[in-house]
Amino acid sequence: MASGAIFGVFIVIAVIAIVVMVFLGNYRLRDTLPQASVTARGYVIRRYWLGLTLVIAIAAFITTLSYLPYSQPRIQARHYFVVARQYSFGLPKVVPLGIAIVFDVTSADVNHGFGIYTPSGKVFAQVQAMPDYVNHLQVVFTVAGHYSVRCMEYCGIAHAAMQGGFEVR
Amino acid sequence: MKPLSVTSPAIGLRVMWTYIVTGLTIFLLMLLVGISMRGSQAGWWTIEPGTFYSLLSLHGIGMLTAMVVAGLGTLWYLVSRETGLDARVAYLAYAFFVAGVACVIVSVVPGHYGALWTMLYPLPFTGTYWPTWATGAWLVGAALVMLGFMIWCGQILGALLARYGGLGGVLAVDYVLHSRAFAKLDREPPPPQIFAAAITAIDGLIAGAAGLTVGVALIVRWLDPTVAIDPLWAKNLTYLFGHTFANLTMYMAVAGIYVGLPICTRRAYHTSVPLVLAWWGTLLFVIIAYFHHLYMDFVQAESVKLVGELASFLAAIPVVVITVYGAVLLVHRSGMRWTLGSMFLFTGLIGWVVGGVAAVLDSTIPFNVDLHNTLWVPAHFHTYLLEGVVLFTLGWVFVNLEQRAGASSGALIRWLAGLGVFGGGALFVLGFYIAGAAGVPRRYAVEPPPGPYLAGIATVGAILVLVGLLVVAYEALRLARLPRSEVAP
Repeated sequence: MASGAIFGVFIVIAVIAIVVMVFLGNYRLRDTLPQASVTARGYVIRRYWLGLTLVIAIAAFITTLSYLPYSQPRIQARHYFVVARQYSFGLPKVVPLGIAIVFDVTSADVNHGFGIYTPSGKVFAQVQAMPDYVNHLQVVFTVAGHYSVRCMEYCGIAHAAMQGGFEVR
Repeated sequence: MKPLSVTSPAIGLRVMWTYIVTGLTIFLLMLLVGISMRGSQAGWWTIEPGTFYSLLSLHGIGMLTAMVVAGLGTLWYLVSRETGLDARVAYLAYAFFVAGVACVIVSVVPGHYGALWTMLYPLPFTGTYWPTWATGAWLVGAALVMLGFMIWCGQILGALLARYGGLGGVLAVDYVLHSRAFAKLDREPPPPQIFAAAITAIDGLIAGAAGLTVGVALIVRWLDPTVAIDPLWAKNLTYLFGHTFANLTMYMAVAGIYVGLPICTRRAYHTSVPLVLAWWGTLLFVIIAYFHHLYMDFVQAESVKLVGELASFLAAIPVVVITVYGAVLLVHRSGMRWTLGSMFLFTGLIGWVVGGVAAVLDSTIPFNVDLHNTLWVPAHFHTYLLEGVVLFTLGWVFVNLEQRAGASSGALIRWLAGLGVFGGGALFVLGFYIAGAAGVPRRYAVEPPPGPYLAGIATVGAILVLVGLLVVAYEALRLARLPRSEVAP
């Protein structure tokens, strides 16, 4: 899901939560009821509320299983070795369009983040660049253009300036 | 020497206020540090990157220590009402916190340490711009804070085990599994706030042990540069400690809801079987949810990441189904008056829910690809810390002050405080959220567009929060100076 849509989902849920809670808190606040009568109804509703939240949590978990970014690298995929170091990336200049690409990402010094941004500036994919380990990030580029790369893990004084890029064509 | 075992509430209150005032003072100072950084990201003034990251290191550990210290003070007092506690142990833990903070300040101010509080090995040793001694001062300072925390956890857990007859008693196992026999024996489960204290102590000891393990390893590496540490091992322990330490601040502060809201509503918050089950879930989920910090470490087993995702989802259920829902039921048609105390406690619940929603979205693996290490991360934790933990703490403070003075604040003060803290707070966190959704990475001294523009909006929000909090501080001092009253407000 695009991050703009995630933000939209967040705002909708947050506004609903705020409105419902403020309403329930203020609704006939001075028109008091005994606590027992509030809880008698409230505990019945709570069973449904528990059921609903459990169903949402489990359904969301199961749904995400189909969208994990950890796919095993395909044998026929083209591999590119990426080495991050304070404060630059060792990157290919050109990457092909429309075929499976695997970036084999590591670091020569501290932890870095290998964040790929689309030509329009959106996060496309990311993985950590760790010393002593190689992370395999498999992607398929479907849009040609210049993709920029930014460090996504704090790595030192020039963290914000640690950038790179490559062409997809 | 006569033990300072708490037999009167006065000693417990003294400990509580010592901790809370210290915590809130550090919080205000760290808020100024935060404003200076956001203003610099907005381009209003310039803080060069080295100083920026030193301030960010200070701000991170300072804010969390502030929240932890305030929360521990509240819990210590509430536990002391149930069982005798030796105040000297509380002051010993406090001394460790103060010594730790002093080391951290020395490390940052003259030392310019800048590897942040959740430094990932080989930081803070490789490519640093500060002297080696500053690294040592930071590591020792952080270890002292962890030790202070673990001393508190050890004292509280020990006292609760003695008071309730072992772990089963503290966690109300018989109450849940053998409820009829439990009732026949006329036994009572612990009150709700005891679960907050017990889970803080148990998870705190586990997280503290993890933090100390990696902390000692880093100190050894600092003393002997030939020592090598596995970066993935260090990352796991760092986040096990860091995530749990940060998350527990909320579970500490929620004790203010269990005890404070009943005072405001004149209703009772009883322990129930669902509440106990919720805390059992929290005990587990808080510890294992940290795996979501390692979603982008693809070498870590996929199953572990899925455990992290499921735990992150399930951790929300006790919050929204039991604690928040129960608190809303407590307020609903209770006749409660809106004072600063009740207002902060109730709105803290809203901040907790909103920050929690953002956290759950971030912990959803397919979404995390877009949000990981963007400004969405500080967005969600600033929401639940500033608009949750801080408000619960302030709510608890004001419930106590209002009860003591038999007075509350006028509508103008409530509006000013509300506009600053909630209005300013909303602006402040929205700057983070929008920038995070736009993919602006976190921890950038100089941000790419639209970061600077949104940082400007966030800085305005943070200044409004500061103004609101100054009004709150003025009002707290006014109420504290009023003579003690026997009449409830």
